[in-house]
Amino acid sequence: MPSLITHSPILIIAIPLAAAFLTLPIGMASRKARNALVIVSLAFVVFLVFALARDISINGIHVYTLGATSPDLTIPKGFMVPVRIILEVDSMSVLMGIIWSIVALAAAIFSLSHIANETGQNRFYTLLLLMVAGGFGIMFTGDLFNLFVFLEITSISGAALIAFRTRFADAQEGGFKYIVVSAIASLMVLFAIGLLYAQYNLLNIGALAQVIQYTTLDKIALALLVIAFTIKAGMVPLHLWLPDAYSVAPASITGMLLITSHACMYAAFRVCFTLYGGMLNTPVVGWIIIIFGLLSMFVGVTMALIQKDVMRFMSYHAISQLGYMWVGVGVGLAVLGNAGLVDSYGKAAMSGGIFHILNDAMYMPLLFFIGGALFHCTGTRDFTQMGGLAHKLKWTTILFIIGSLCISGIPPFNGFSSKILIYESVYQFHPILTIAGIIVSILILASFIKVFHSAFMGAELSEYKAVKEVPRSMIIAMVILAAGIVFITLFPSLIVNWTIHPASDALINQGGYINAVTGAIP
Amino acid sequence: MTFILESGYAFWNPIILIIVFIVTMVIVYFFRRRGQENYKKDTDQAQIFLCGEEVPEAEQRHVRAGNIYWGFFETLKEYYNQILRPHTGIINDYVLWFIAVTAIIAIILLIAGLGT
Repeated sequence: MPSLITHSPILIIAIPLAAAFLTLPIGMASRKARNALVIVSLAFVVFLVFALARDISINGIHVYTLGATSPDLTIPKGFMVPVRIILEVDSMSVLMGIIWSIVALAAAIFSLSHIANETGQNRFYTLLLLMVAGGFGIMFTGDLFNLFVFLEITSISGAALIAFRTRFADAQEGGFKYIVVSAIASLMVLFAIGLLYAQYNLLNIGALAQVIQYTTLDKIALALLVIAFTIKAGMVPLHLWLPDAYSVAPASITGMLLITSHACMYAAFRVCFTLYGGMLNTPVVGWIIIIFGLLSMFVGVTMALIQKDVMRFMSYHAISQLGYMWVGVGVGLAVLGNAGLVDSYGKAAMSGGIFHILNDAMYMPLLFFIGGALFHCTGTRDFTQMGGLAHKLKWTTILFIIGSLCISGIPPFNGFSSKILIYESVYQFHPILTIAGIIVSILILASFIKVFHSAFMGAELSEYKAVKEVPRSMIIAMVILAAGIVFITLFPSLIVNWTIHPASDALINQGGYINAVTGAIP
Repeated sequence: MTFILESGYAFWNPIILIIVFIVTMVIVYFFRRRGQENYKKDTDQAQIFLCGEEVPEAEQRHVRAGNIYWGFFETLKEYYNQILRPHTGIINDYVLWFIAVTAIIAIILLIAGLGT
């Protein structure tokens, strides 16, 4: 077991990667064996991520050097700087890993029935597992170039999965838009890495953070990195591609794409807090993040209100929810240079923002899955054509109510727990942020009431008389996420103390991240 | 203590709200039980009265999403006209936005973004 935990960072990436390549030959022999391989490998990854999280909560940052005689040998003999690929997992990255592992498992289970009638299922699961490996890579890597590589893996597999149902023209268009946007963002990241490497001869984030000089080129690299990850996260006004791509992917993939947005948001935070750190003019960069967040909250929800396509509706809400996280963490960044303000409310704002990532990762994929379930049952994504579905889809209706109440921040659900943390802390920074957050929450509730009334309420419509509840695997996937919601709802303090506060501490503690790499000189 | 989330200014305990919700439901149920007992289901008592007009079939009475919040959208018509303009669906337009925002952020950071 200790050996398993020691090697867990690379195993968490390697297992889905290996399973991806095994899926094709096994899938050609037996569909059941392929499904079992996908589910078992992802379930084992969930176990490994939790084991790693427990280890990090006890022993601190987990560093893993690839190709070294010992995984903690970050700087080889005869070298002054790290030259090997290093995975560096702290409380923040492992929190993202927990989210990714749970949603990936739920998405795979959901897909068992959701794409059961599609052709090319072997390729679908191969791409899904590649995307999982790429996502973990983004979260766990301590190396900028590997961040780019994993970003590419996630983007290419994501684009192929968006366009998976090639019989739909809009799916092909969505996949094309996603790959174009991803290519632009990736090139910006690569260019920024080039600027940094040309000056410092380093790619390791911790080692770079130690020597960065804040030159004009560093400022340009910062702008490129922040914008690239903002594009990939889908923040307003760089969100335009997101509903076009998310709404046409299979629902299970949309849930996973949302977490890739979270991963890019995490990468942006890692760049701001860890790579550039406290030497930034943090109020300016913090306000840039806050403005992106505020715009996303407002534009996201108001655009959601006018949608008729249930998946586009959910996509705009996903943008709106990202705004809350950016506002919370942005406030933390804006006051990072002032230790008193960090203790007073900055850390609480960051914890609220990070807690909202976790909550959003439970209810937003659930809502995407429900959108997929509605499409599965009715054959349309237009919810103005739906009605009376609560008569037939009892599980889906109950799960929709849970998801809607969570996203609207209605107590006692988990969405409220993180929003109250954000509201109370960002009010100290600027009251308008809290007021904006509350107004957006009201609009979210109003929009979900509209969809609930239109799709689920009313008399049974004749065209949906033959509709049946979605297959069991889809319900199980949705129930897994709903169970996560219930657990976080009932034990918010346990979650915050065990995962959220350590994650915000990890972001603030730039020295700890640097020392984990450079302090391990043999 | 695992139920109590302390925000630094106040606390939040979901169990209290759940208990309040359950007690409220019990009270509501109590009052409901004291309602009219001579109510006859499936008689004219249960029929909708629409000023003597013929009541449409249940299926036709369903208010669909397109008819909800009309006043809200009418009031914010100008906002929506403006906000819908960049949502062209054309990838070239999206890329222009990326370039413009990147340039603005780079200029802001070059002028004031980094300082020691």
